[in-house]
Amino acid sequence: MQLFIAPGDELPIYRQIMRQITDAIAGGRLGPGEKLASQRDLAEQLVVSPLTVKKAYDELEREGLIRTERGRGTFVGERAAVDPERQRQHLRAGARRLLSRARLSGVSLAEVIALLHEVEAELGLAPAGDGLGSTGGLGSGGGDGPPAPLSDHPFDQPHDQEEPES
Amino acid sequence: MNVVELNNVDQMYAGGVLALSDVNVSIEAGQVVGLVGENGAGKTTLMRIAMGMLGPRRGTVRLFGLDPRRDAVGVKRRIGYVSEDQILPPFLRVDRVIDLHRSLFPTWDDALARRLAERFKISPKAKIRTLSKGQARQVALLCAVAHRPELLLLDEPAGGLDPAARREFLETSIRLLNEAGTAILFSSHYLTDVERMADRLVMLHDGRVLIDSDLDTLRESYSLALLPANGTVSRDRLLALGGCLGVRERSEGLRALFALAPGETSELLAETVGIGDAPCHRIGLEEMFIELVGGQA
Repeated sequence: MQLFIAPGDELPIYRQIMRQITDAIAGGRLGPGEKLASQRDLAEQLVVSPLTVKKAYDELEREGLIRTERGRGTFVGERAAVDPERQRQHLRAGARRLLSRARLSGVSLAEVIALLHEVEAELGLAPAGDGLGSTGGLGSGGGDGPPAPLSDHPFDQPHDQEEPES
Repeated sequence: MNVVELNNVDQMYAGGVLALSDVNVSIEAGQVVGLVGENGAGKTTLMRIAMGMLGPRRGTVRLFGLDPRRDAVGVKRRIGYVSEDQILPPFLRVDRVIDLHRSLFPTWDDALARRLAERFKISPKAKIRTLSKGQARQVALLCAVAHRPELLLLDEPAGGLDPAARREFLETSIRLLNEAGTAILFSSHYLTDVERMADRLVMLHDGRVLIDSDLDTLRESYSLALLPANGTVSRDRLLALGGCLGVRERSEGLRALFALAPGETSELLAETVGIGDAPCHRIGLEEMFIELVGGQA
């Protein structure tokens, strides 16, 4: 998989690396168990300090997205255990953008919610008990209890549907 | 033990102008430190003091725990040095220049020298004066690293190179880091290069250390606040706030740099000067440099 980094960007380089790998895993371009470039190779490919790559990999490992096996290399986790609190923050940022845009176009909150239901149907997501149920695991925000298993994770379902295993 | 240890170092230019003033910098093994600052800020003087080419007027200098003036040979054998204005003898062939360096360094690694020469695609029989600027710099780099130094001092190593030659130089440096884990202190005006290479940034201004920080911390926890010009808050008032590093006055308003993340800067401004709606941005190194240098009292 190819990465691209831009020094001078708003994000520091290690965050750019993290974001691209996270996006690739979420989007299915990197599958469970797939091997990542070694830290040394990636540092040479991107022409960045090896410590910067190490920092990105260490953070991704801490988040449970990848794991390093001594002597074998670094792999995408079998079940990427995404931190629900972090995901909630991402979703919140997306929601903020969506609502600002809706406001500028004169679209009401009710219409946005209706739109979300339409998209949910398009993606063929399992019908939820009530309108908000499908994001309940993230929206409750209590942080109590273990993270939801992958199959219940709202982030992953769209990708399963969009990009079936070939 | 630190690879470099400068304590309370002062140095004067001829004519009594202070070139360095109370400089404290230490570098650990394997660390890559980018040294930035305006022309005349003291970068080259700092490098030369670390090399032992200059003694400090005041303060102490230690490399690997040794005094580079007293143990000149012992220290020089453990460091490599490349500078923008370094001149290799133009009439010598590349292989002769390499031989010369080999004879000076007991730890010379022939295999590494050969690998680098092959990668640079420079003919060993070529005379130095027939090389391009970029090629000559690569020969200088080869000579600086083939004895596997514990510390590499690069004074504006990419100066005068075109973008492709600069990138090539960076690629080589990254490979060296991968292979040897050498500590590097390098000065550069190319802040994108600094961001690619360095783990830590030291900024000099008028001979003083203005910033010495982990690079990612700098990128993530510094912000620029844009404040109105209508006199609601003065430059001095802002400079007196904790965390404010510099303020630039421009016709369209004040630009204040804070060592705080954007959200924290917003809160601070709301609480202290009652401006709750000042836009606060995270900024890149180049902008930070401009704001800092231009915003000093």
